[in-house]
Amino acid sequence: MRAYISVFRMRIKMELQYRGAMIGGIVCQMFFGIVLVALYHALYESKAQAMPIEQVSTYVWLQQAFFRMMVATDPDLNDKIKNGSISYDLCRPVNMYTFYYIRVAAQKLMGSLMRGIPMIIVTFLLPKGWGITLPASGGGLFCGLIALFLGLLCMCALENITMAFTMRTLDSRGMQSLLNLLMVTLSGNLLPLTLFPDSWQKVITMLPYAQLLDAPIRLYSGEYLISEAPLILLRQAGWALILILIGVWFWEQNRKKMIIQGG
Amino acid sequence: MNTVHLYLRSMGMLLKSHLQYPASFIMQTLAQLVMEGGEMLAVILVIDRFESLKEWSGGNLFFFFGLMSVSFYITEFFGRGITGNFPSMVRSGQLDSLLLRPRGILTQVLCSGTDPRRITCIAVGVASLVMGSNLSDVSWSIPKVLVLAESILMSCLLILGLFMIECIFCIHSVKSVELVNALTYGGRSACQYPIDIYPKPLKILFSVVAPFALTMHVPAAYILGKSLYGWPVWTAFITPLSGAVVFFVMVMLFNRGIKFYRSTGS
Repeated sequence: MRAYISVFRMRIKMELQYRGAMIGGIVCQMFFGIVLVALYHALYESKAQAMPIEQVSTYVWLQQAFFRMMVATDPDLNDKIKNGSISYDLCRPVNMYTFYYIRVAAQKLMGSLMRGIPMIIVTFLLPKGWGITLPASGGGLFCGLIALFLGLLCMCALENITMAFTMRTLDSRGMQSLLNLLMVTLSGNLLPLTLFPDSWQKVITMLPYAQLLDAPIRLYSGEYLISEAPLILLRQAGWALILILIGVWFWEQNRKKMIIQGG
Repeated sequence: MNTVHLYLRSMGMLLKSHLQYPASFIMQTLAQLVMEGGEMLAVILVIDRFESLKEWSGGNLFFFFGLMSVSFYITEFFGRGITGNFPSMVRSGQLDSLLLRPRGILTQVLCSGTDPRRITCIAVGVASLVMGSNLSDVSWSIPKVLVLAESILMSCLLILGLFMIECIFCIHSVKSVELVNALTYGGRSACQYPIDIYPKPLKILFSVVAPFALTMHVPAAYILGKSLYGWPVWTAFITPLSGAVVFFVMVMLFNRGIKFYRSTGS
């Protein structure tokens, strides 16, 4: 257990080193956010929707703020798979799945907090309708934070499943990009899930991708009521468990059949 | 062997090398299709929910989206050396070997990479263009076809020019500067919708600094039988040339910058 904790702390410190990348990331994400918010403002001028524009802006900004949580991946592991030094990891007296789960969790957590918190503060200062709004209620904020944590668990589990595919194919680009694209579309980053056709939403909100950021954001903005929160948190926890189990099983299969690259 | 011939030869060889791994190639090409399909899905869903965007109809929006996809991915297809490979060439010191050869650096960089997987993205773009022109009942005429061709060509030059900003920074700082992505990828996201829906700062950014509006939206508005900013018809033929201007300015800056290149060693 202590090994895992120290891995976690090490990765957190490591992520803190990249402050230059952080500022670049924030500026880029802010820019994309402003473009999207401007687009939705123009669209709302043409035809207003049931969901108020303030909520759309909040949705867009929170998605941008925690974008890093979705896309951060462990570059070391990719290289290790490619050049074969993953064989060293087989010798470590730790569970490989847990080891990498913790690593990527630390990376995603710290990376997104470093970018997300300054962005949320800045976007609070934007004029009304363009920036982020306060949470619907204290309870909503609290449930949203728990949901965000469960979303992080789902995200790391998904990341490890993607990595399991990479271990099979050795090429990180094909399957990884396919799964990442699915994630960007179905998690509401490209277009808020709340703007998908209403009939689709029933299905989409059940999928694992909606558990990542969509569920926390909807709890924050009050789209999901507090009374619904236990059910939603349960759904997230359920998905997290399922995804972790799939990942563990997949890694175990891979471990048995691992082919080491290189000499 | 002139430059064009050299470029075509390199492209042929690179294509062959990509096709050496057919399974991986097909997989990645499909991934690109899903990616661009996802982007288009977002546009379809937006049109489904909002029907129109200010004075632009749904069909017009497909046309704008298609124009952007076609131009952007043609650039990535043929200019991968600049849009993707250059920073790693500087970091790894691979650029040194190019300096020794009796050809222009830029030519060699362009010859060094292609990205044929983008073909599916271009296909999605073409489909969207056709769909957009059908839905907006465009009556095609020879000038309109010429303007479309000019617009795509000039947009490609513009995008290439914008990616070269990153290359120029990279020569000086070695590290690739992600900030430029705001202009390139940000420009792609923003300008797949007509420029006049955006607030003033963004309008200025994409009409003057990175003139996507001039290379794409002015001619597209002419083809769709409308007018952007209320400008007269003849502007549709002139404004796309700004893409070439940006490109040539960047080529000059690049050639200046390369004089200050210091190898990373190794």
